[in-house]
Amino acid sequence: MAADAGLIAIGAGIAVGITGLASAWAEKEIGSAAIGAMAENEKLFGKGLILTVIPETIVIFGMVVAILLWLNM
Amino acid sequence: MLLPKQMTRVLIVGSRGALKDTIEVLYQLEAAHLIDFSAEEEGFSLGAPLPESSEASQKLLKLRSLEKDMDLDDTEVTGQMSLADIEKDLAGTIATLEAEITGATESKNRISVRINELEAEKAILQNFQALPLDLELYRDYDSLKVFTGKVRGDPSAALKTAAPQSEVFISSNGDFVAAFVAKAQAEEAQKALVQFGFTEVPAPAGTGSPQQLVGKVDEELTALRSSLDEAVKKLEELKDKHSIFVKAADEHLSIIVAKAETPLRVGTTEYTFAMDAWVPTEEMLKVEKAISEKLGGRVHVESLEVMSRREAHGHHEEGHHEAKVEEIPSKTENGRTVRKFEFMARMLSTPKYREIDPAVTMMITIPIFFGLMVGDIGYGIPFMILGLIGLKKCVSDEWRTISTLLFFGGIWATIFGLFMFGEAYGIHFAEQHHDMSWSSLLGVHIPHEIAIGGLEIPLGIYSKLHNVKEILYMTLWIGIAHIFIGFCIGFYNKSIRFGFKHAVIEKVSWLMILVGGALLLLFLVDAMIRGKEVSITDMRILIAAPLLLVGIVMAYKGEGSGAILELPGLMGNIISYTRLAAIGMSKAGLALAFNTIAFEVMWGHDFHVLGSNSGDMVMLIAALGIFLIGHLTIFVLAIISAGLHSLRLHYVEFFMKFYEGGGVEFKPLKVIRRYTTDKNGVSE
Repeated sequence: MAADAGLIAIGAGIAVGITGLASAWAEKEIGSAAIGAMAENEKLFGKGLILTVIPETIVIFGMVVAILLWLNM
Repeated sequence: MLLPKQMTRVLIVGSRGALKDTIEVLYQLEAAHLIDFSAEEEGFSLGAPLPESSEASQKLLKLRSLEKDMDLDDTEVTGQMSLADIEKDLAGTIATLEAEITGATESKNRISVRINELEAEKAILQNFQALPLDLELYRDYDSLKVFTGKVRGDPSAALKTAAPQSEVFISSNGDFVAAFVAKAQAEEAQKALVQFGFTEVPAPAGTGSPQQLVGKVDEELTALRSSLDEAVKKLEELKDKHSIFVKAADEHLSIIVAKAETPLRVGTTEYTFAMDAWVPTEEMLKVEKAISEKLGGRVHVESLEVMSRREAHGHHEEGHHEAKVEEIPSKTENGRTVRKFEFMARMLSTPKYREIDPAVTMMITIPIFFGLMVGDIGYGIPFMILGLIGLKKCVSDEWRTISTLLFFGGIWATIFGLFMFGEAYGIHFAEQHHDMSWSSLLGVHIPHEIAIGGLEIPLGIYSKLHNVKEILYMTLWIGIAHIFIGFCIGFYNKSIRFGFKHAVIEKVSWLMILVGGALLLLFLVDAMIRGKEVSITDMRILIAAPLLLVGIVMAYKGEGSGAILELPGLMGNIISYTRLAAIGMSKAGLALAFNTIAFEVMWGHDFHVLGSNSGDMVMLIAALGIFLIGHLTIFVLAIISAGLHSLRLHYVEFFMKFYEGGGVEFKPLKVIRRYTTDKNGVSE
């Protein structure tokens, strides 16, 4: 049982970790482009912010999966 | 009320002589949004600026350069001047000011340039100070070449081999060298010096020992610095004395120029002018009356069209009609509270004339989401106070928006913290789930619920870390409800723009899919998570299946195959709302960590026993220090994460369902006075 719990914990960790990396990667690309766009036109802040946080959903999904796994421990 | 004000397109025509008066009247009315005249119409040409414009522009130019010299900041100027005071000998005053301020600035600049020169000179002299030679000894030789400069090591040995006929002086710290070499061996000597990273520093002009010269330079520098201080002080005095005049005159002249240049946006012929403008329909009477009274028959106002909300072209083809039809400006008139949220919505885009201003919806849900994510009275009350202070003190739109969010979010955070989560700084009031609690920490009994007037009011139903499943499930339903509202607003927007039938196909289809999906969720939760016995003929399936099916078919007919691709997107949108739980949970986790370090580890508090602790005062103070720093960190993080995420839920998930934006803000001709007061009562 302890081994199972360990495996579940590792699974939850992977779920959050990899989705976190994925979000970070995507946000990095979008964020730097958004800053570039903002340098030209400050009005784009709102749009830039939204576009930048869109990939955040990936890690939220990962976190939900991790939580569901953790609840089954 | 929720829609922008209804607009009427008007044409104002009159004799050209009345143009100036018309502009004046329109500026007083503050009700006309001018449409720039396009020079395409035959027989019309752009109007010329009124004659007073050029003189005012020239004065304005001088004032602006004065402002730059004075380094004037908008925020530090307060006070007002009356127009009469400004008008009194405006040109003369500007000329005197220019002489004074430009003179002061120039002398200040001259002094600082001289200081820079002297400092550079001093830096060079200081190098030579390290060598025991007077300055005149470095020049005027017939047979010798002199090298002076910086080096990275002692080159004397290398120089002796390269150029035996030479003499080398080196500073005591070994980084400055003067070499006197016979001209015939100069080339070899230079090569040897380069090996040691030689950079030449030519000897300065002048005679005598460098020490004396440095002393002289220092004296002059001290004198110059004190006169620089004086010049700066004089400039400051001038700034204090004249800043209000400069700002007020700037404002006054800017208004004159703006008015005088308005004809550039108007079409004129030799004897007439024609002005195209948007006027809010409710103000039409006022406008017509004012023009007919004040301009007595010389100018005529014609109402061309009261703009309906319906798009001119029935069919929904974005981009097609927009190029042809003039964008109708949106004038939104929100109450005091909603106006505080306007900036958040505007940050994304200005609402179109034909859609609901989303600021109203943001006012309700943004603070609730913020409060749910924070959900702790320990943070909620400080947020409220901080927001209140911000709203009182801040002027800029950005800070006011943040303060608004903090204030209203703080209220909800307190409500959720008190009744739903029952916690302050991540610690529950009453003991539950065998965790640390305020009741065991303080040694007093705190009940799980309080009874007010026979009503049992709970102090904490859920724990953020123990009831994760319930809170996650709840946030899914919040998401479904929020998106449901979004589609409903979308339905309304579409129905006023393109008609009922169009709205049904485009939005009701998605409403059906959403409701079907929600029923399916109920079923799935029962079947898979609660592990209940469910049959396929369950009522929920029987209702959900046709809803989903019809919805998808309708969406497919309305939007094409793209609709099928959007289906998983809708699911993603709903799951996205689980961030409400996830962020609350992560904050609770952080708080738990800090609390455990502070109280259990350092203070030795045993939470199983009411009021037990090590009783060590030093450790208690250290624990409180950790507690303070830790919770301050969480507090700041909460502003960023909870604030940004509740904004994002609106911008991305919610607004996508109904908000198009890209409208034009209603900007009537009007005068805004900050530094001037108009005693004659011409405006207003």
